[in-house]
Amino acid sequence: MSFINYSSREINCKIVYYGPGLCGKTTNLQFIYRRTNPEQKGKLISLATETERTLFFDFLPLALGDIKGFKIRFHLYTVPGQVFYAASRKLILKGVDGVVFVADSQIERTESNIESLEDLKINLSEQGYDLDKLPFAMQYNKRDLPNIVPVADLEKLLNYRKVPSFEAVAVTGKGVFETLKAVAKQVLFELKKHY
Amino acid sequence: MVVICPKCKIKLKIEDSKLTEKGTRFKCPKCSTTLLVKKPITQAAKPVDNLKILVAHSNQSIISIIESILKAEGYRIITANDGIEAMVKAVKEMPFLLILEVSLPKIFGFEVCKRLRLRPETKNMKYILVSSVHDDKRYRRQPESLYEADDYIEEHNLQELLLDSVKKLRGYVKEPGKKETITEKPANIPAEEKIKVEHKPETILEQKQVQPQLSEMAERAKRLARAIVSDIYLYNTPKAEEAIKNNTFFSVFAAELREGQKLYDNRIPQEVRIQKDFFKETIEEFIENKKKNL
Repeated sequence: MSFINYSSREINCKIVYYGPGLCGKTTNLQFIYRRTNPEQKGKLISLATETERTLFFDFLPLALGDIKGFKIRFHLYTVPGQVFYAASRKLILKGVDGVVFVADSQIERTESNIESLEDLKINLSEQGYDLDKLPFAMQYNKRDLPNIVPVADLEKLLNYRKVPSFEAVAVTGKGVFETLKAVAKQVLFELKKHY
Repeated sequence: MVVICPKCKIKLKIEDSKLTEKGTRFKCPKCSTTLLVKKPITQAAKPVDNLKILVAHSNQSIISIIESILKAEGYRIITANDGIEAMVKAVKEMPFLLILEVSLPKIFGFEVCKRLRLRPETKNMKYILVSSVHDDKRYRRQPESLYEADDYIEEHNLQELLLDSVKKLRGYVKEPGKKETITEKPANIPAEEKIKVEHKPETILEQKQVQPQLSEMAERAKRLARAIVSDIYLYNTPKAEEAIKNNTFFSVFAAELREGQKLYDNRIPQEVRIQKDFFKETIEEFIENKKKNL
């Protein structure tokens, strides 16, 4: 749920990057951060504990015009990917406005992708959200590796909602902004319905 | 002999001396269901049918393409539209070959392959996985690393490659329909313990509907356990390999496994967990597989 800051006349939206361990969520965010105008962004914050080393807490605004005089500020988050940190993931999903699912295209991570998507559904529903109604985009990352699953199969395995999906190589930035734009567009569409 | 009461799921130990081949009736001490328990008899395994092929795909037009290619060569085709149906028909019909769509509904094709490889009566069957069209030819992967299948064909190559692959997997290139020259030794395997339960007809119907759900849930339990252990491995590869070599995986990763077990207990319903300790079994399997490659 978006948060409105009346003093700065901003609507704050939360987008969460979800996916299995080491699929490239952080790489996506780092690339976006690097390519964003310094005046438009806040600090890139990393919250890493002893065990949950991939837990990043990122903050990043992107200028996207305004809605009735209010600017839109996007807050981007990643979740710890390791499957057993479900509690942290659930916490980060609180107040989410849109989700990007980053799938690891490597064949040996097929089951982990399926498991992570299942985990996303469960964690959302425990917070009272329904993945079928939330702004959602899918990214098939690591397309530069040799042992990858064809996109058509990933679509069948993961993209049951037929949401916009993108092939990506996050380390080079391929597909990163396309994915972000696709989810941002849906979030804005939802916002316009309500404000 | 240990049997599980199908109603309340408790394990019952029955002395073998009390069992007969015709069956002996017992009452479950917990729910009072009457169980008819038969002495397990050793049966010869059903041999595979060297002309029968099971084709499992969610798309009817792909099934038709495969059927037309293989029927012209004299093969008998049976079909399935999802993973559960494929598993059931494989055991019942004993085809020598299964052609499975990778992303089959209910149980994915690669999971069907993996599961049937674990069963003594189906482990020697041949498996071909059919995947969608790949975007780029340079990314074509080698079939042997594909979840233990024997071959891998993309849909657009079916006309071109399927027949050769089937013939190769049959072990010879003789035309089907002619006299068989291959002799296969059927392995003697003990028949599964049979339990008959006296129920009202509607309860039996209910049980039949519950069965596939339970098997789906067991598969889900194993998948979650595999995801947990493969994450532990992925995040700590050198340490994990060392631990696997030294047979200390369970003690070295005790904290991670405890977290994993917590999630597993939370996500997997009790009725599945009491069937079997899928968590431990899957982790042991994972360690064994890794050990072979180290």
